Order: sequence, then structure tokens, then C-alpha cells
Amino acid sequence: MNNDIPVRELGPQGEVMAHAVDACVHCGFCLPACPTYALLGDEMDSPRGRIVLMKEVLEGGLDLLDAAPHLDRCLGCQACVTACPSGVPYGELITSFRGWSEPQRRRSPLDRAKRYAILKALPAPRLFSVAARVGQYAKPLAPALPAALRGPLDLLPEHVPAMQPSPRVTPAQGPRRGRVAFLTGCAQQALAPNFNAATLRVLARNGIEVVIPEGQGCCGAAALHTGARDEALRLVRANLDAFNPDDYDAVLSNAAGCGAGLKEYPVILHGLHDEARAKAFAAKVQDISEYLAGLVREGGLEPFMPASRSLKVAYHDACHLAHAQGVRAAPRELLRMIPGVSIVEIPEGDLCCGSAGTYNLEQPELAGQLGARKAGHILSTAPDLIASGNIGCHTQIQSHVRRQGSAAPVMHTVEVLDRAYRGEL
Amino acid sequence: MTPEKLALTTTSPAPRPRSEGGTDSALAAELTRSLGPKKVLSNLSERLSYRYDAIQFGVTPLAVVLPESTEDVIATVRAARRAGVSIVGRGAASGLSGGAAPMREAVVISFTRMTKLEIFPERREAVAQPGVITLAVTEAARPHGLIYPPDPASFRTSTIGGNLGENAGGPLCFKYGVTGDYVTALDFVDAEGELHSLTRDAYDLAGLLIGSEGTLGLITSATLRLTPPPRFTRTLMAHFAEVGQVAEAVSAAIAAGAVPGKLEFMDGACTNAVEDYLHLGLPRDAGAVLLVDTDGDDLDTVEEERALVEAACLQAGGQVRRAASDAESAALWQARRSVSPALGRIRPQRMNEDIVVPRSVLPEVVREIRALGDASGLKLVQFGHIGDGNLHPNILFDPRRESEEAVHLLAHQIALVAIRHGGVLSGEHGIGTMKREFMRDAVDPETMTALRNVKRALDPAGALNPGKILPDPEDA
Repeated sequence: MNNDIPVRELGPQGEVMAHAVDACVHCGFCLPACPTYALLGDEMDSPRGRIVLMKEVLEGGLDLLDAAPHLDRCLGCQACVTACPSGVPYGELITSFRGWSEPQRRRSPLDRAKRYAILKALPAPRLFSVAARVGQYAKPLAPALPAALRGPLDLLPEHVPAMQPSPRVTPAQGPRRGRVAFLTGCAQQALAPNFNAATLRVLARNGIEVVIPEGQGCCGAAALHTGARDEALRLVRANLDAFNPDDYDAVLSNAAGCGAGLKEYPVILHGLHDEARAKAFAAKVQDISEYLAGLVREGGLEPFMPASRSLKVAYHDACHLAHAQGVRAAPRELLRMIPGVSIVEIPEGDLCCGSAGTYNLEQPELAGQLGARKAGHILSTAPDLIASGNIGCHTQIQSHVRRQGSAAPVMHTVEVLDRAYRGEL
Repeated sequence: MTPEKLALTTTSPAPRPRSEGGTDSALAAELTRSLGPKKVLSNLSERLSYRYDAIQFGVTPLAVVLPESTEDVIATVRAARRAGVSIVGRGAASGLSGGAAPMREAVVISFTRMTKLEIFPERREAVAQPGVITLAVTEAARPHGLIYPPDPASFRTSTIGGNLGENAGGPLCFKYGVTGDYVTALDFVDAEGELHSLTRDAYDLAGLLIGSEGTLGLITSATLRLTPPPRFTRTLMAHFAEVGQVAEAVSAAIAAGAVPGKLEFMDGACTNAVEDYLHLGLPRDAGAVLLVDTDGDDLDTVEEERALVEAACLQAGGQVRRAASDAESAALWQARRSVSPALGRIRPQRMNEDIVVPRSVLPEVVREIRALGDASGLKLVQFGHIGDGNLHPNILFDPRRESEEAVHLLAHQIALVAIRHGGVLSGEHGIGTMKREFMRDAVDPETMTALRNVKRALDPAGALNPGKILPDPEDA
């Protein structure tokens, strides 16, 4: 798409944005992939429309405030990236644009307070855990509360478990096959500590030593995707200091959103002095399922115990795993290795579940519609178990399938593997 | 944004920024009053989003109407006529000739919310509103053992209304025909806001509306023929050193009696653009790739036809690979469908040709076009529905570095190649704005007068999609 974006004034992120706009041939192949287009059916709430709006704002032909409602409704799911034959890096565009535009936004005090709270609580697992447990008791009051508070409460599981400290080093069982660094994640530690416990057990069982480097923190994705660029840069640099990629075979994440965030570091730092370090780091980042599938190819995994009965698993592709990281086959391959487990594909599987980071808090109505739609599709497959690789999807799907009356367990992929190892499946 | 529209689209607790880009158009205000704010877009951010299709940007519309019924369309057309404002119909805007891009200030009627679809299996028909997504017709028909064969590459995005406007084809059109072949009846709103119902008897007015790119009327409903899908399908891919060999193989296979369901080709540049996207292991070094489906209800015939095609390919110097599974053939067809947008990876902009030539001259035509491209210094690629003689030479360019005049000149030369060999300017994408000027070469003055008279009869004020298909009269 022709553009007159003043790249020189906008700096390195301007290059990223102009390149993405350039690459779009406005063919419309992205439209059917876009969740908000599916709900709203209008051009400005589609990826193609948003690219045009961002281009116009960057060129000075449209007021940011005019474009903002449509850009704010983007989930950042990147399904359009998968669908785009022209190779438009839409995710890089919207993230950079949000970072560029946020300082120019005028927001209400309540809105500002909420964003501040999210961005402070999310990267601080202990704070988040306390908040979540307080919230758990407030849950029954939710219907009486204003929408702004109801959203976050809706998201909380009925039971918020106690935090489990993770060991600095988890030694490999048997001969050591590898050594990896692990990002523990933020919200996930508070909401689903078993994800990490299961990850450590599965890796150790397969001869992998896992190190949780000190000084690591939030990956920065939430800050970046909500436009808090300075905050994001601080978090990114802290992680670059904490993880020395030369020390490990891989840097692992078991949260799709965090993993995608880590892989984005070179884009965030594009044109800044840490760019090379970010590239070396990102080259080592893998999702847990990618890494385990790699082990399958290099000597195999320890055998799983068969499931106690034949189990139909509905595997949900987290957007940040399937679209942002391109990881689709690995989790399915791993689950299929468990004797007795079969995978069912979810209709409209590429459509976002509506969780999308802070989207539930910012756009509760659209998030709710997508959540209900996803849960309906999942339940249409009559699964015995629902698996996914992202904490956000996990809480969203759990909450919506329960609301639709299903008691099917919802698990992280690695939890399913862990259970199979323990003969508890 | 008005409070009503807010209620429709979002309940974000964030305060809505008050639009500074509203229109002061009296027409927009009137439409909003009569249709309600949910159906009328008047903010700049909204209107800007309805000025383009997949090939070009036009003029920002005065207002955009998202009708939910034929009555809404009628009301919009009447209001626009009273205000003397022109009207542009729009589907998903995946068109490739500029057909949906307004060329002057206009009301855009975007049909994406008119999505009612009914299947009548006993009479093998579907009745669709114009906003129905093409693929949705087949998806709804399949449980009844039926499909809707016209399958443009954009079938996941494009709408039935857009298909009708452009008389869209697709890979299946060689054996099964194009959109127009599947329409048994349609309703349209004329330039004055009157509703008409057409069938295909007496004067084939429906045939006139199909492919008229919204310049003669706005189609509000269509009755479409459905067919049972073939029971067996076999896919093969062949690759060749040079693009003319593909055309030779195709001509020979058809001459030998094969009637494949699909016969598509793409040249080396296309193959590489798609391979960058899908990573299927397509032959990157090949000068051209041919994709063929033979299909039918009798497996022996299907296999025999595949053997005929294979032999023709080998004879023409190609290497042949059979798709081993349904998944493999689906992947190959996804590759073919992605060619057009994937070309964006080569240059940001393009001029898309859509010529049709007799099959007997295919080898000369593709070679002549290749030679023109090589001589021009511009990046020219070719793909298309070669079984139909429908070729899509595309000129890829970067307007910052390459002369648009040179692009236009090359496009004109290509059009002349087609005309010289007894071909036509458009197979399925329409004339739009892109090939409007070439109509002077393709149509003699007397026929042009007849076309102008037709346009004048149905749209005396020239209000419907102005600036498309017919070039301005020379003396104007």
C-alpha cells in the first residue's frame, strides 16, 4: 500500500510500521480470519481497515482519536498474519503503533487507574496472587458491581490456589540430555501454579536440567501490547540481563503469550543498542511444546502411561502459539503420543477465544461474545478434556465452558503430559 | 459516534473520543434519520475504510450505508438520487479491477450485512442475499449433497453480490462455468430505486446485470443453481522449464479429450511468492507450474483423464507429480489460490490483467507476453485459469521507483496481444477502472454506442458506479 509515513520523524519503530503498511495489498484475505470482523462485519474493524486507519493517522490525515475505537478493538490475535499471503507483519505494526500512540491518548481517570493497576499487578506474581485471592471472595458480588470491575472478577477461577515457589534449578533425571532456562510467567504463577510444576517434572523426566534464572521478570508483552512502551523496554532489558542465551540450549516458556513476547524482543529493540543481544536471545526462545517435540525427534521421549480410558481431547490453538509463533503441530503431536488419547479439531478453530491479554478488561462485551462462541464450538465436539497452551485462553475457556454447563477438565498441554507420566489420565 | 452506534459495536468503558471527522453532508444526515445510525457510517475513520478494493484506492465516500434489507437499499438509492449523489455498490472489496472503489464522491452501499441464505435441496437451488460469503453457499449446501461450483480464489472473503457484479470465475470454471452460468433469477434495484425481479427468459436482462459491475443496478437477491459434487477427484502437479511449455501441454491434453475440473498455471515468480508464504516444497526453479484436477463420478474415466494430462505434460517436457493424499491436493490448491495476494511480496503494487484468448493460441500468447515483460524492464508475472484461456499477466511495481506510465503502457501492449489473437479484455475481474481505456481497442465505435445506450437506458443520470467500464466519449 502506498504511503507517506514520515519514517524519519518516527524513528526505528516508524520503519517497522511503514514496512508493514507497504506490504499490505489490501486484498481482503484477512477479513474472514478476524474475530472483530466476524462479530461486527465492518471494514474499519478488520485488519485491512485498521492498517488503513493506522496509515492515515501516521500520515496525519486522520485524528488518532477517530481511529482509536477501531484499533482498540483489535485483539492482537494475529490470525490475520496466518491468513495473509502477502506477508504483512500486522502484529509488529499494531504493537509499534500502540507504543507510539499511547502517549498521545487522553484517557479518563478510571481508565488510567485500571491500566496502571493491570500493568503493576500483572508483572508482580505475589501482588497478583493476593489481588486474585481477594477478588475470589468478591466474585459473588460481581453482578452488583460496575462493568469495569465485573470484567476482571469474571476472569478469576472459582478457586485461586496458593503460590508455589519454583526451585532455582531442577536437575535432570537420569543422564542429562540438555539444559534450559525457564521463564516462569506472571499471572500464571498465581492462577495456575501447576502449569510450571508440571513443566519442570516433564522436562526433568526427559533428562533436561531446568534453570530459573534470577532477576527474570515479566516478559513485557502486556505492557507492550497496551502501548506502555517505556515500561515494556524496562522489563525486556531486565530479562536480557537475566538470561544469558549462551548458557542454555533453549529458553523456554509455557505461556503462549509470554513466549511470543520473548520472540518479539528484536522488534521491540529494533534500532536500539540492545538489538543484537535481543536477536541472540530470541533465537533461543521456544515454547515448551516446540522443545519437547524437538526431543521426540532427537532420541524420543520417555514413554507415557496409557490413559485409563480412551480420551477425546479438544486441543485449542492459542493465538499466540498458532498465529504469533506458528506452533500448531507440536502440541498435537505430543498429545497423540499418549496411548488412548485422540485429538478432535474445534470448528472455527482459528478464531480467538477473546481472552487476548487485557482484552477482557478493555472490551468485555466483545471478549464475552467470542468466549461464548469458542466454548460452544469446543463443546460441539463433545470432548473428554480440553487442552491449550496459554493461561489466558485457559481461564477464558474454563469460565465459558462452565457457564455453558460443561464439567470437562481444561488443562495445559504439559499438564496432560505430566498426568500421563503419573498414570493419572 | 452516536450513542446508538456505540451500543451496537462496543461497550468499552473507555470514554469514546468524540469524532472530529464527521461529515457535514446533508445526505448523510438524511440517511441517518431515515435508516437509523446503525446502518449509516459518516465519521471520517469509517468512510475512509470504504474507498478501496483489492487493487486501488478511490475517493472517500460521503457516507456509507450498511443495508440490512432490500427496503434499506431502495431508501438509500432514492435519497442519493434526490441529492444528485452517485452510488457505488460494494461486497467484500476483494475485486481486482477497481470496481468497488468510488471514483467521485458517492454513497457506498456495502452489502456485508445482507447475508440471508436459503437452500432448497429439492430444486437444487440457493437463494442468497448479496452479502453472503461465496464459500458459505457451498458450506450450507454440502449437507444436502450439493455444492455451488463458482469458486474465485477469494471465495473465503468475497461475496455473492461481488461475484455477480464481476461475473467471477475460479479454478472450476473450465469444466463447470462461471458465476453467470449458475444464476437462474435475480432481484435488483435500479438507479431510480425501483425493485425488479428477473429470470433468464425473454430478454436476458439478468445476464446483462451479471458482470455489469454495479453500473446498471444493485442486485439484492440471487437464485443460484447447485450441483452434486463429483464423486472422485485426482490432483496432479507438473512443472516445466518454460511457461510456453505449460500452454502446449494444456492444448495437447484438451485436444486429446481430457476435460479436467481444474487447469491452472503459475509461473516461477508466482510459485516462489507462494512458497515464501506456505512452504510446501513447490519447485522453486521451475519456469512454470501446472495444477490439474480431473474429476467425475466414474473413477476409471477420472484416472484416464489424469493419464491423458500426464502424457501431455511429459510430451511437452514437464515433470509430473501426483498428489498422494487429499491433504496434499488441498495444500496445492491453497497455493494456487494464494498467488494473487502473495505477489505483494515482490512489489507493493500491481496492475492485474485478466485476458481471455482461444486455447489454440495459448503458447504464442504466453510467450509473447513473457517477451514483452522481459523487454519492459518491469517485473511481469503470469498465472491463471489456463484451461479457459483466461490469463492473469500481472505487472508488479513500486510507484516510488518505477514509472506508472511504463506500467500502463505495458498493460496496454498486453491487452493488444489478447485482442490481436482474438481474445477479450476480461474473463472474470471486470473492466473497472483498470482496463477502461483499453475498451477503445477492444470494442468498435458502433458497439460502444450500443453499450452506452444500454447504460443510458438503465441509468440515465449516470449515477451508478460512475467511471467504470465505459471510457468517456472522445468528444466529451
